[in-house]
Amino acid sequence: MLRHTALLLLATLAAAAPSAQAADAPYPTKPIRIISPFDPGGTSDLSTRVIADIAKDILKVPVIVENRPGAGGTVGIGQVAKLPPDGYTLVQFSSSPIVIRPLVANVPYDPTKDLTYVGRYLVSHSPLMVRADSPWKTLAELVKYAEANPGKVRWAAGAPQGAAHLSTEALFRSANVKTTFVPTGGGAEAMLQLGGGQIEAASATDFAGPMAEGKVRLLAESGPVRIATAPNVQTYKELGYPLSLAVYLGLAGPAGLPPNVVKTWDDTLKQVMEHPRFKEFLKAQNASPYYANSADLTRDVKAEVGSLKDTLQQMGMAKK
Amino acid sequence: MGVIDALTLGFSVSLSWQNLYFCFIGVTLGTAVGVLPGLGPTATISLLLPLTFKMEPVSALIMLAGIFYGAMYGGSITSILMRVPGEAASVITCLDGHAMARKGRAGVALGMSAFASFAAGILSTIAIAVVGPLAAQLAFAFGPVERAALVLLGLVMVTMISTGSRANALAMVGLGLLLATIGADFVTGMDRFTFGRAELSDGINIALLAMGMFGLSEVLAMADKAGGAVRLLPQPKRLVEMLPNREDWRRSALPIGRGSAIGFFLGILPGGGALIASFASYIAEKKLSRRPQEFGHGAIEGLAGPEAANNAAAQGAFIPLLSLGIPANAITALMLGALMIQGVTPGPKLALDNPTLYWGTITSLFTGNLMLLVLNLPLLWLFVMLLRIPQYVLSPLIALFCLIGAFSLANSPLDVVLVVLLGLAGYALRKADYDPAPLVIAFVLGPIFEKAFRQSLLLGYGSPRIFLERPISATLLACCLLMLSWPLLRRALAAWRARRS
Repeated sequence: MLRHTALLLLATLAAAAPSAQAADAPYPTKPIRIISPFDPGGTSDLSTRVIADIAKDILKVPVIVENRPGAGGTVGIGQVAKLPPDGYTLVQFSSSPIVIRPLVANVPYDPTKDLTYVGRYLVSHSPLMVRADSPWKTLAELVKYAEANPGKVRWAAGAPQGAAHLSTEALFRSANVKTTFVPTGGGAEAMLQLGGGQIEAASATDFAGPMAEGKVRLLAESGPVRIATAPNVQTYKELGYPLSLAVYLGLAGPAGLPPNVVKTWDDTLKQVMEHPRFKEFLKAQNASPYYANSADLTRDVKAEVGSLKDTLQQMGMAKK
Repeated sequence: MGVIDALTLGFSVSLSWQNLYFCFIGVTLGTAVGVLPGLGPTATISLLLPLTFKMEPVSALIMLAGIFYGAMYGGSITSILMRVPGEAASVITCLDGHAMARKGRAGVALGMSAFASFAAGILSTIAIAVVGPLAAQLAFAFGPVERAALVLLGLVMVTMISTGSRANALAMVGLGLLLATIGADFVTGMDRFTFGRAELSDGINIALLAMGMFGLSEVLAMADKAGGAVRLLPQPKRLVEMLPNREDWRRSALPIGRGSAIGFFLGILPGGGALIASFASYIAEKKLSRRPQEFGHGAIEGLAGPEAANNAAAQGAFIPLLSLGIPANAITALMLGALMIQGVTPGPKLALDNPTLYWGTITSLFTGNLMLLVLNLPLLWLFVMLLRIPQYVLSPLIALFCLIGAFSLANSPLDVVLVVLLGLAGYALRKADYDPAPLVIAFVLGPIFEKAFRQSLLLGYGSPRIFLERPISATLLACCLLMLSWPLLRRALAAWRARRS
């Protein structure tokens, strides 16, 4: 019996050997596909295309971007999570379908188990804005008005159930004021409604143009990092509110991605971060660099999922 | 800077040999992808985006714009010849365009559709140049409340596009609205009727519905009717038969003008778009025509108006893009992205800060439309030759293109299954004498209405009074009421007149 087990063990080892060898196989040797789980045209999608374009020169293989949009990015991520971890299909992600959506909706993957995080590269800003001709000069004044006029403050956020929505909802809930959230199809629509005076406030990433024209006043930044072009605007956290969720972007692959693949992409991403075209892209999108390597990102995601779950439960915003 | 100076500057940019070259590539590619069902301009532009990183911003925009309106030309070709909308915006073209082809007037339909698109392109380009930045303000004035009222008016009128009975059309509208509720609830984010499939949480793609209900069901209907025998659509014999005659021109002139105006207006509004514009123009022509009974059986007005409208809408969308930096649809969102990667931020100052880009792009719409007309007319002959392909070769090809198109939308296998199911459903409906056109239109209008209506109620703090308090929506609602009560009113009026005399 014992001999039998030993034989089996040997056989298993022998069988495992070629796959261990495969893990050290040169990478990449054929085209790489990056799934963009969002609609074409947004910051997420465009960043993927810029990175793919720079990476193809570094890796010396074609890097193809394929859109598989749906359900706030969860469809594309779910599909990649089920693929073999060979490093030839990666997925671009934003923090919303990784850290936030799994806590408020059903998603077809477990963000802490089913993915190998390769790296993080960008954080976008989504400040809370009011019209420049509105009476509110600070966030405190807006909150005070909302307190005196329950439900009268109508506001919109770029994506429903996204980082900016949850952070701002948490802000109002912790201040114990009643407001009216108006869902929109995206940041551009939110800005249109703000510009048209249909809503009082909006939190969206499309603030640069209106800010430059002096049409809007930035009250606070909903994310954790201050905006380079508006350094005086404080974050929700800095102002003492419970959540400042980041909208950040990164790359991931199916769970069990070989170490040499992760290493290759880590080196590539580092070079991308320094590439002038990538820097220009960040500036054009009003985003900031937000680099993390595979190990740091994996740790951050776990920590964020844990702490966010607690906060959302306390506020009664988590999925039942 | 006056309009003349601006246009002179613009043409000096758009007529440079390299911009003419990129414009040509754009419109040619656009026509090609417009012809292929499923492979639309959105996919093409996103594929070509990295190429534009190294181009001059104005050349990049000229090329991408060419793909966009080029697809509007191309989309009509398969709609007319095979009743397969190459592009969602050409569903309406299937109705009278294909009916004309059945009567042996395929060449006339193709020629008129190219000319209507061209005329609309030129008219709306002039409109952009003259009223551009002013018209942009319309996007702000037209909020969810106004949009809800406008779409409601559209829903009231949707039964009019049908050729069959009013009751059947109404049933199709209901079915279309129901199909449109599939997907995540807009306000709460909860999934509705998705059967646990994440792919369905964004609803059924309109292109799937259009390809299933028109393309695949047409293939099935052809196989059914032909009964194994080879059947060809009548073909024009001589060149003269392929060109619109004087009567055609006379009947099309006004519809083209009205279609351009409707399309331009709806193109500016966020969420308007080419499909709604073509539908609105079709309704308008049918209402204004002295021969409404010919619609659906090859009325050239029903082709010329909507064709003008969808191209005008495609170009009207450049106003919010260039003047406000706000994309009206996924395609202009991609163009905005292409510009921003290059460090150009569109907005009210673009025309002043970067006049070469702004006017260069606008004037390229002239040259591009001219190229498309020149490109399309000689090809008429070639396209009409497609009718010589025997049915048993053509039908499987159409079916294949529909399946490939369905897959290419989001690279999802479920979409292929869906398009087949929708094709079978479309065939069954057709057999039972139900027209799929109202269904498709209601499917498009449904989500827009639901979203705008629920947003409006939130904006009005829960009270529907907001619809009456805003002048534009109140007027539109009054129109709805008038439309609905018109038959009664007319009878009452007739009775009153009879009593008086």
